[in-house]
Amino acid sequence: EDIVPTQKVEIDNEIALERIRETIRLDPSMPWTETLTVTFPESIDVDVDDDLNRELAFYKQALHGAAEAKSLAAKHGLPFTRPSDYFAEMVKSDAHMERIRQRLLDESATIKRSE
Amino acid sequence: DEESSSPAKKRPRNKQRVLLLSSRGITHRMRHLMNDLEALLPQVKKDSKLDSKNHLNLIPELADLNNCNNALYFEARRHEDLYLWAVKTPNGPSIKMHVQNVHTMDELKMTGNCLKGSRGVLSFDKAFDESEWGKLTKEVFTQIFGVPPSARKAKPFVDHILTFSILDNKIWFRNFQIIEKDPLQPNGPPQTSLIEIGPRFVLTPIRIFEGAFGGATVYSNPEFVSPAAIRSSIRREKGQKYGMRKQ
Repeated sequence: EDIVPTQKVEIDNEIALERIRETIRLDPSMPWTETLTVTFPESIDVDVDDDLNRELAFYKQALHGAAEAKSLAAKHGLPFTRPSDYFAEMVKSDAHMERIRQRLLDESATIKRSE
Repeated sequence: DEESSSPAKKRPRNKQRVLLLSSRGITHRMRHLMNDLEALLPQVKKDSKLDSKNHLNLIPELADLNNCNNALYFEARRHEDLYLWAVKTPNGPSIKMHVQNVHTMDELKMTGNCLKGSRGVLSFDKAFDESEWGKLTKEVFTQIFGVPPSARKAKPFVDHILTFSILDNKIWFRNFQIIEKDPLQPNGPPQTSLIEIGPRFVLTPIRIFEGAFGGATVYSNPEFVSPAAIRSSIRREKGQKYGMRKQ
C-alpha cells in the first residue's frame, strides 16, 4: 500500500546551507527598489486539497504583498501605478484577451439559456 | 557579480541575468511554461535546447558565454515528468525541483494581464524563513525571479506580483495583476484588488547541491518519491491484484 518502499537518507546540512547563503546573498545595504521583495508575516496553513480556500490564502498573501509594496514604493519614490495613458506591449496579446472575453460571454450565455 | 560596476558609484546594484533553457523531449505544455517565464522576466536569456542530459556541467559555461549569473534549466524525463534546476552559476548552489500542476498563461481561465517586462513584486510567505533550506531557496529565487531595475526591457511601473508559498512541503507559484481602481467605480477611492494572470505551477524541492549542477548534497527531501516510482508501484499493485485473482 505504502508508496515508500525503502527508507531514504535525509540530508539537511544546516551549517553548509547557511554558509552558502552567506556567500551568495545580496548586499544588505541594497535599497528595496533593487529587489522588490516582500515577506508575508503568516504561513499558509490550509488543507491542500481544498482548492477554494487554498487559492484564497494565496490571494490574501498577494494582496498583503501588493499593499506593502505600494507603501514601500511610495517611500522610495519608485513609480508604481501605471498611468492610464501609458500603453505598451502586454504579456497577453489583445487577440488572446479577446478570446478570454468571448469565452466568458459564451459561458454566461449558456448559464442564461439553462435558467 | 553583485558588486557595483564602477568604484566611484557606491550604490550597490542588483545585477542578475538568467539563462533559461531546457533539455530535449519537452512537451508543448512545458514549452509554453518556459515562454511564459520568458515573457514575465525581461532579465531572462533563452537558449536552445541542451542536447545531452549527462553533461549539465556545460550549462555554467553557456551561462558565462551569455553574461548570465543564474540559470533555470527545465529537464524533461520520459516526455511526462518535468524537473527544474534553479542554479547560481558558476559557483552554485543548485536547487533541483520537481514541477507539477502546470497551468500556462495561454489557458483561457485567467483574465489578468500585465505589461510585458514590468518588474513584478516578489512575495514569500513566512514558512521560507523557518528552515535553512527555505532561507536559501528564498535568496536564490529573489535573485532569479526578481527583475533588476537595470534589465534592458524592464518597464518603469509595477503592476503584478509573484507569490511563492510553502504548503504541504511544496512551493506554490502564482502571479497576480495588481489593480488599483475599482472597475465598477472608476472615479471612486482607489482600492487594490488582484486578478490572476498565470502561469501556475507547484515545485517540490528534491535536493540542493553546493556547486552548480553538482557538488555535495547539502539538503535532500526525504518525502520526495520520484514520479516513476509512484507509477511503477501503482502498476505493481495492479499486477498483484491480477496475480491474486489467478491463484
